[in-house]
Amino acid sequence: MENEIKGLEEEFQRDFQEANSPKELEILKIKYLGRKSTFAELFARIPTLAKEERSTWGKKLNAFKQKITSLLEGKEGQAKSEEERIDLTPPSVFLESGSRHILTTVSEKICSIFEKLGFVTIEGKEIEEEWYNFEALNIPLEHPSREAFDTFYLDIGEKDKGKYLLRSHTSPSQIRVMQAAKPPLAVISPGRVYRPDQVDATHSFMFHQVEGFVVDEDINFAHLKGVLLHFVREFFSNKVELRFRPHFFPFTEPSAEVDISCFVCKRKKEEEEVKKCSVCKGKGWLEILGCGMIHPKVLKACGIDSKKYKGFAFGMGVERIAMLKYGIEDIRLFYENDVRFLKQFSL
Amino acid sequence: MRFSLNFIQEFLKVDTSPKELASLLTMAGMEVEGLEKEGSDWIFDIEVTTNRYDWLSILGISREIAAITGKKLKVNYPGSLTKFNFTTRDIVIEDKGDCPYYIGRRIEGVGVSASRAWLQERILNCGLTPVNNIVDITNYSMLKWGNPLHAFDADKLEGNIYIRRAKKNESLIGIDGKERVLGKENLVIADSKKVIALAGIIGAKNTEVTETTKNIFLEAAVFSPLTVRRSRRAAGLDTESSYRFERAVSPQLLEHASCEAAKLIADLSGGKNKGYKVVGKKPQLPEKNITISISSLSAYLGLEPLKLKVKKILENLDFKVKDLAKDKIVVTPPQSRFDIKREVDVYEEFSRIYGYDKIPDQIPFLKRNLTISNQADYYHFKGELANLVALLGFKEIITYSLEEKEQLTIEDRDVIGLINPLRSQENALRTNLLFGMARSLRHNFNRTLKGTSTQGRLRLFEIADTYSKSKKGFLETPTLALAISGKEGGFFLLKGVLEKILSFLNISNFEFKEGSLNNFTNSLRINVGNCNLGFLGKLDQQQKKDLDLKEDLFFAQLDLSICAKTRGQKRYKPFSSYPAIWRDISISLKKSIKFEEIEKIIKAKGNYLTGFTIIDVYKGKDIPSGYKAFTLRIFYQSTEKTLTSSEVDSFHNQIRQSLSQQQGLNLR
Repeated sequence: MENEIKGLEEEFQRDFQEANSPKELEILKIKYLGRKSTFAELFARIPTLAKEERSTWGKKLNAFKQKITSLLEGKEGQAKSEEERIDLTPPSVFLESGSRHILTTVSEKICSIFEKLGFVTIEGKEIEEEWYNFEALNIPLEHPSREAFDTFYLDIGEKDKGKYLLRSHTSPSQIRVMQAAKPPLAVISPGRVYRPDQVDATHSFMFHQVEGFVVDEDINFAHLKGVLLHFVREFFSNKVELRFRPHFFPFTEPSAEVDISCFVCKRKKEEEEVKKCSVCKGKGWLEILGCGMIHPKVLKACGIDSKKYKGFAFGMGVERIAMLKYGIEDIRLFYENDVRFLKQFSL
Repeated sequence: MRFSLNFIQEFLKVDTSPKELASLLTMAGMEVEGLEKEGSDWIFDIEVTTNRYDWLSILGISREIAAITGKKLKVNYPGSLTKFNFTTRDIVIEDKGDCPYYIGRRIEGVGVSASRAWLQERILNCGLTPVNNIVDITNYSMLKWGNPLHAFDADKLEGNIYIRRAKKNESLIGIDGKERVLGKENLVIADSKKVIALAGIIGAKNTEVTETTKNIFLEAAVFSPLTVRRSRRAAGLDTESSYRFERAVSPQLLEHASCEAAKLIADLSGGKNKGYKVVGKKPQLPEKNITISISSLSAYLGLEPLKLKVKKILENLDFKVKDLAKDKIVVTPPQSRFDIKREVDVYEEFSRIYGYDKIPDQIPFLKRNLTISNQADYYHFKGELANLVALLGFKEIITYSLEEKEQLTIEDRDVIGLINPLRSQENALRTNLLFGMARSLRHNFNRTLKGTSTQGRLRLFEIADTYSKSKKGFLETPTLALAISGKEGGFFLLKGVLEKILSFLNISNFEFKEGSLNNFTNSLRINVGNCNLGFLGKLDQQQKKDLDLKEDLFFAQLDLSICAKTRGQKRYKPFSSYPAIWRDISISLKKSIKFEEIEKIIKAKGNYLTGFTIIDVYKGKDIPSGYKAFTLRIFYQSTEKTLTSSEVDSFHNQIRQSLSQQQGLNLR
């Protein structure tokens, strides 16, 4: 019996070395552990042995059985997972998802930055009265300053000709809010605006603006600077700098145009790099918005006492901000809605 | 406007480097958009804002540079040259409102030729083209003082000079060779027989200075900005001269400009000054005294009070400054600055020279009137909804609000047209979002999706206003549009999306009502009570062809103002902890009968009914023609106990029985 077990073990070891696939291992299982195996025969002989030898041989056989079972199962498990391994380099499953338009995303982002400071978002109307778009904002009739704000007039019969128009900026919503509610006020107002410009890579007869303003007793120019610096650092990066350049707008005094330091060439780092920068064209600065202290005439037009209250206001073009931030070079891409464009801004 | 640094040196010695000067000017509000070296000269290209007419001259720019660099300006005013009136012709101003002040000069015996090099250089470097010595001198004078002048060939003038409005159908051929028909909008200079100039804008060909010109009539005048603006707009042109007149020119400098030009013409062309004539009165600007409180100025800008600094800066800008009290000064702006009218204008003058960069950055504590809030507006509502629709796999688009008037109908709405559209394709405000959507789909079907894996499968949405006229005025309605292309899905996908949106809005009492809409084959209106929230439908084949769409279009639109009003509060609803049990029924239904009928029966009989769904549509041969077959799965559930099989069977049998009594419906 002992020799037979030993022979069997040696034979098993030889076979086990050679068997590699799950199928070969299955054959070994049957050969060594099956009902007709040598092993089964040996087990069957146990009752024929002398009483005192039965338990010894029984234990030995069982130990042997356990050993080969675990060897076989171990190797089988390995072989199976080996077989399951696949090439992981082919293309993945394509997932289509919905997306928000980059202009609405940017508008919402801008508004939310100001909301966190305490501003309230209120959209104005796109169809405006002449007075709100111009006179109330200190843009007199037939003044050269109106040229920058040319707009579309609505055809509503001779009687009201020239009275209604599509707003050419979001500033009229300032007037609407100030007429409806008394200070203190802090409002941000996004929306579509219209100007009769021929469409090209940088012009569109419809575009988007965000207007913001604050009116309270102790508001000053330093507050305007602080609020806008906070905004650009939240929106672009906490490393950008702001530059306020004196400018003229009829509705603010003093007025400023605001540039951010170019976040592409990072300005000044390498004089040569700045010169080559295609984004800021070597200037190191990018114009992003206009602002100023609300003109006393504008406050007065809204029935607010300009002796008591001061305010600041700012306005920016959403397209311009998005173009700068994302490196978009043609404004028409925003309205063409090419899926190849849209999906770059998936949720 | 372009100016040359060498020209500036006529008034001011500048020792700042051009690059530094450009940056100083930019930071004081005169934005230098370009800077180039031209021989020994530097050319600055600046943006002049509409309030600073005084920067449209070398003198004005020099004054600014002097103020910024703290230097003194050296101006040699040419003064008056001749003391005698000429008597050869009269000058008659019809309306002093159009032209308050006019100086005519006569210079005889000139020789017209090309200008000297220095004069040509001055003009060229300021962006103008040299013509001949006479014209170049008038341009030189305009650039230098800001007052546009005009030289006529005196021998081509007939009789007196009139400054008057054009008569109907009078016309003028300008020195640019173009003929323009004039009207009462146009102020003209005329002699006794003809129009010789469009006042302040352009001279006429008929009296132009040419090589053969011997005698000159030199015009210097102040014209009303508004008159020149209207006139040049009516005539459809914009010149260096009209640009300045429109923004106002200085009456104070007029004599100097005229005098210097006359003197130069005599010097450089060999002519002789033969007298002048002044008509009208030099407009006198009242001196304006503005009282400034230093503490108010500082508080306005967010600075510590800086009295000395304020005085110094204003004095550099040629303001007269007088101390009034400890905190108060009285300032008088220079004659050249009629844009300075009130305190804030002075604040700006101070702050732009002081430097905006020296003003600190502070975040204010924002107080707020509580009557306004984010909830008062649709903005956040639209954002939430857009996020939901995007989560449902739709891509947001933005399309133009302007459309062609004729394209616009789905429902009857009063369209708002434009008076001055750029093109007929965009001559009205849209009443729906269908056509912008269709255009975007077409673009993608034709261009993007060819041969790509997406292949015509699209889900798009837009949230934008639609516009119409109503009795109460103009309506701007925030609107949601949804589109699914034929390859992406069909009507029931779109209907499912709408149900999802309505459930998000917690609007549960809505119903779909079949209706007929222009341009749709099949459509449902979504109603809540008497309110119509919107519609969904399949675009008909004719429209699909007209819009050149390669795929079917399933389109829906919701009125978001009504949705926002109808929207309900979300409340937690407990759900059953007992199992749901279902039973299936296979049905064949006559095609003329709507599924709605089955739904009514099930709902009427449904004890413990929690829902139903079509699990299978059968298309085998054994279905009688004119019938459709499907299997319906009905779910039963109690909130109080586990329903037994026999209980469910009895409920289900009641439904089966009712259904079997329905005409045109067979249970299989």
